[in-house]
Order: sequence, then structure tokens, then C-alpha cells
Amino acid sequence: MLAYFIEAAQVLMANRTRSILTLIGLVAGVATIVSVQVAANGMAGAVSGIFKGTNASTFIVFPKITQGNAARAAFRVSDLALVQETIPGVVSVIPYSRSQTIVDVGHHRIRLRFGGESDKRFSTAPLVAGRTINADDVAGASSVCVISDNAFSRLFPEAPSASDIIGRSVYVGSKRYVIVGVLGKTKIDTAALGLDISTDVAIPYTTFYKNYQRGGTFPFLSVLAATSADLKSVEAQTVKLLASTHGSQYQAFDFGFIASIIGSFFNIVGLIVGAVGAISLLVAGIGIMNIMLVSVTERTREIGIRKAIGARRSQVLLQFFIESLLLSAFGCITGMLIGVGLGAIVDRGFIARISGVTGSIPWLEAIVIAVGFATIVTLVFGTYPAYRAAKLDPIQALRYE
Amino acid sequence: MNRADNVIDIAGLTKTYASGELQVQALRGLTFSIKRGEYVSIMGPSGSGKSTLMNVLGCLDRATTGTYKLDGIDVSQLDDNQLAEIRLKKLGFVFQGFNLLARTDALRNVTLPLFYAGMPAKERERRALERLTEVGIGERARHKPTELSGGEQQRVAIARALVNDPAVLLADEPTGNLDSKTSSEILALFDRLSATGRTIIVVTHDEGVAKRSRRILRMLDGVIMSDAPAGAPA
Ligand SMILES: Nc1ncnc2c1ncn2[C@@H]1O[C@H](COP(=O)(O)OP(=O)(O)O)[C@@H](O)[C@H]1O
Ligand SMILES: [Mg+2]
Repeated sequence: MLAYFIEAAQVLMANRTRSILTLIGLVAGVATIVSVQVAANGMAGAVSGIFKGTNASTFIVFPKITQGNAARAAFRVSDLALVQETIPGVVSVIPYSRSQTIVDVGHHRIRLRFGGESDKRFSTAPLVAGRTINADDVAGASSVCVISDNAFSRLFPEAPSASDIIGRSVYVGSKRYVIVGVLGKTKIDTAALGLDISTDVAIPYTTFYKNYQRGGTFPFLSVLAATSADLKSVEAQTVKLLASTHGSQYQAFDFGFIASIIGSFFNIVGLIVGAVGAISLLVAGIGIMNIMLVSVTERTREIGIRKAIGARRSQVLLQFFIESLLLSAFGCITGMLIGVGLGAIVDRGFIARISGVTGSIPWLEAIVIAVGFATIVTLVFGTYPAYRAAKLDPIQALRYE
Repeated sequence: MNRADNVIDIAGLTKTYASGELQVQALRGLTFSIKRGEYVSIMGPSGSGKSTLMNVLGCLDRATTGTYKLDGIDVSQLDDNQLAEIRLKKLGFVFQGFNLLARTDALRNVTLPLFYAGMPAKERERRALERLTEVGIGERARHKPTELSGGEQQRVAIARALVNDPAVLLADEPTGNLDSKTSSEILALFDRLSATGRTIIVVTHDEGVAKRSRRILRMLDGVIMSDAPAGAPA
């Protein structure tokens, strides 16, 4: 048996260029599928990582777009207390307020995310200096702010440490806010994914309302629940309560929803790439079959000699079958290694940077894919050429020039 | 005459090729025997049926009717795999065009039948080298056919034909591609093999080649016209 492998390897080596050209399709197909597998694994890790870092017990409520009376549906300040007091499990309700605004510290003017925050803390970022917004700030609508790690490093690049800037002021338009606290990095940089959920300069939501939404209505509510456990039920009760109060329809939106959107997006990407990979494997398989048929034709006389000498059909079959097997095994293993490499580059170089979570390399899946494809390609596309070789008539084969 | 001495026993052998409507009777009832150790040539004009007879004798093809016993085995009724086995164990072929595997060196060409017989690699190489030495080119064992002269290639082919110790050595125009000097070397080798008791059957056009054998079968239109010792008038 080993002799067949040695023999086959020698034949393939003798036709090196042709063998390698034949394999390009197979290598590309397997590499595509494996790299997507590796990247998807990294992505799964990343998605779970992102939502570990965000506050999973918050949701946003907004009016359904399809209804007519937008003015009646908009939220008023009285809705905040209504929701908070009526629905069990709700810790805090604030207007969802976030805008890209120029923040001025004198020598730097930078566009940052600016918004209201509750003393109950919607943000999960750790505090590194000073204090967070407290109940007195909220009650008194005081002109204080807590800034994010991003705001700190961009507004005060020269400051030796976060505690040095406590007590300094930032200006938003004509309003001045005293910095009372600095937050650290959330583990996950969600901004890189376009999920605008962290606020760079947070002021008490009451201050935000007084300065920017005075007497007006607002389109979104942010709700913080005590736990993420039965968030759906809290969402449902909130939507129902608001609907009966306003006579309008609302919907709730949480991070689980975003996760499911991201998840289904990657499922679709996976399906498309899988289909592309499958087609390229089909093409590659036909390529291998073609090259093996050419090989059988070119070696008709050799096959005749072998048969005249006494090779049985099964022995000739095995010889060509093993050639196909070696060819496709080599292609699939090469493709697998390239695929793992590409997948790891995508994961480490891109996904992990965003998520802070490095996916493990799914070697088992990669090997299963490579071995599976090598087997299928050989069985489907290697059998026919081998069969053609095995059934050649020795007399005619010997006469072949 | 003791029938057990016969390595080949043929009776009423016919071969009809059916190509579409047309039927060609290539062999029309041959009956003859060849004793163990005989050195026989088969002669005849082109189209007389020599190649057809060689194919049947060589178990590459089956006769249409009649019986063929090779080394005591009735091979007329065997299937393809059984015929392959007979070719492997009982027959050795030498062709006009040598028919060596081009990419493979002399030694591995000679080991090929042993490989198909399932012999271990070490033993294969030992035996093959022995045969190559026997036909006088042991020192060329690691050369590929393209690096060998015609005469040397034919010696490799003879070594390969003999390596399984066959009952019959079949040669089809073995000197057809060789110059007269190498031809006579190959014929001398055949003489030597015959002297050691090999059964040899040679198909040839060449009276000079046929004269080296002990017995000549002359064919015409699918029948044997004469069967006489070499040296007898044709
Ligand atoms: N495969 C075949 N199909 C049909 N006719 C054939 C075939 N092989 C040989 N013949 C015919 O059989 C006859 C004997 O041919 P062959 O055995 O090749 O003779 P020789 O070798 O003596 O020249 C010829 O008439 C030839 O045309
Ligand atoms: Mg002929």
C-alpha cells in the first residue's frame, strides 16, 4: 500500500507544475471556507464580548414610525416618573439624548458625543478619578460633567493624570460644565463598531433637559432596568403603559436585538461565502478530474504495460485513485493552512481590536473541513478517471501511441 | 508423448473479430502443443493471425472457441482478474518496442511484476537485481530507459519477463527494433535461456531469428500451414 503512495507521489512530482496549477482552485476553495470559519469563530467571541461590556439591562423606547401623530407620540418629562414609578424593575428613566457637539476647553475644540446621564449610571465604564453624577446633581440640574476616557485623552492630551483635571471646565456652546469625574476604558470599544452607546461628556439629564430641551418633547426614552433577566417583560410593560397614556404605539430596542442583527448578518455572510466556496470546490474538483483524465490518456500505454504484466483492475484503479487522493489531500491541507492563517489575521488584526476578544482557532473544524473536502473531491472526481484507467483493454492500450 | 510435459495445449482454437457487420476470422481452428523447454518460432505473412495468436497465448485476449491449457490450467473460461493472475504468474512478455515504464529506472521496471504479486520491497529488489545481472546489465540497474541503448532496454524487458519465473516466455518481434549486432546479442541470450530449460515462443518475420529456434510454426490466413523443426525446408 505504501508503495502506491510513493509511486503516486513520484508521478505527481514528475508533473509538478501541472499538479500545482490543478490545485489552485482547490486551495482557494478550502482556504475561503476555513478562513470564514476561523473569522466567524472570532466574530462570535467578539459579539459576546461586546455585549458583556455594555449594560445589558438598558433599552430604548421610541414611537413606531408608521403612525400619524408624531407630536402626540413624543415623550414629555412627566413620562419619566410615570414609567419609573409604575413599572417594577425599572431603576431609572431618562430622555435619550446624545448629540455630536463641539466641546471646548480653551486650547482644544473637539467634536464629541454629548448627552445626559442619570445618577443611576447607564454607563458601565469604570470611574478612574473624581465621582460620578449624583442625586443632588440630578435634583439641582447642576452644571457638572463626567468625561469619558476618549474625551480625556483628546481634550487634555498634556494632562499627566485624570485626577489633575477634576475641577476644570469644558464649554459646550455658551454653557460651562465643571468636570467632576473621569471614566476609564470600557473593556470593549463599541464606538469602533458604530454602536454609539457611550457618551464622552455626560451631564445630569435634568441639566440637559433644562439647557437644551426646555419645555419640549423628546423622541426617545432610555430605560435602565434592575436586571437583564426579564428585560423583555419590562420592555413590554413599558410599551403598554406609554401606549395607554399617549394613545400611540411604541417599540423597544435593546442590545440583544443588536446582537441578533449582527448575528444574522454574519450568518448571511457565512452562507454567501460558503456557497462561493462550494462552487469553487466544484470547479476545482472538475479540474482535478480533468487532469486525471488527461493523465490516464497520456499514460494509456503505461496502463497497457502494467496490465500485460499482470496488474489486476483493482490494482490499476487503486494507483490512480491514490494519485487523485494525494493531489486533493495536498490541496486541501494547503488550503486549510492558508485559510487558518487568513482567518487568524482577520480575527487578530481586525475583530479582536474592536472587541478586545481574540477568538480561538477552530483547528478541529478546519481539519474536518479539509479532510471532508479531500475525501469528497477524491470520491466524486477521482473515481471516474481511475475507473477509466482500470477498464482499459490491455491490447488496445499497448497499441496506443 | 506425456501430456504433462506440455506447457501449452491448444485444440480447435478459433478467434473471430466482429467489427460491426463484418466478421473477420483471424484464427480458424488451431491445434498444437508446446512442450516444456521448447524454443518455438511463429512465422507468417502480415495478416496471417500471428498477433492474434500471441494475444490469446499471452492471455491478453480470449479465443472464440476451442480450448487452451497453459501449464495444466484451462484458461479459456477465466475472467479478467484470473487472466491477470495467469499473466502475472505464468507468462513473461517481451515486446518489439520494449515497453518499459519511461519514468522508472531499470530496477523498478523489473520489480513491477513482483510488486503486483505482493512481494515485500526488499525481496523485490534483491530478485530484480539478480535477474538484471543474469541478463548482463546488473550494473545499469539505476538507469532510466532513456539512458539505455535499445539492446540494454530489451535486456531489461527480458529480465522483467523472467522475474516471476514464468512457465512461458513470449516474445513478439524481439529484435524488430534492434540493429543486427544487438539482435544477435539478444538471440544469444535467448539461446542461453533456452539452454537452461526456458520455454520460449517468438513471433518473427525474420528467417534468421526463426532459425535460432528449434521448431517453426508457419501460419497463413489463420491456420498453421507447417509445423517443422528449424532447419527443415520451409
Ligand atoms: N481487433 C481487431 N478487430 C478486427 N479485426 C482484427 C483485429 N485484430 C486483427 N484483426 C484482423 O485479424 C486478422 C489477423 O490479424 P493479426 O493477428 O494482427 O495478423 P498478423 O499479426 O499476423 O499480421 C487480420 O485480417 C486483421 O485485420
Ligand atoms: Mg501482427
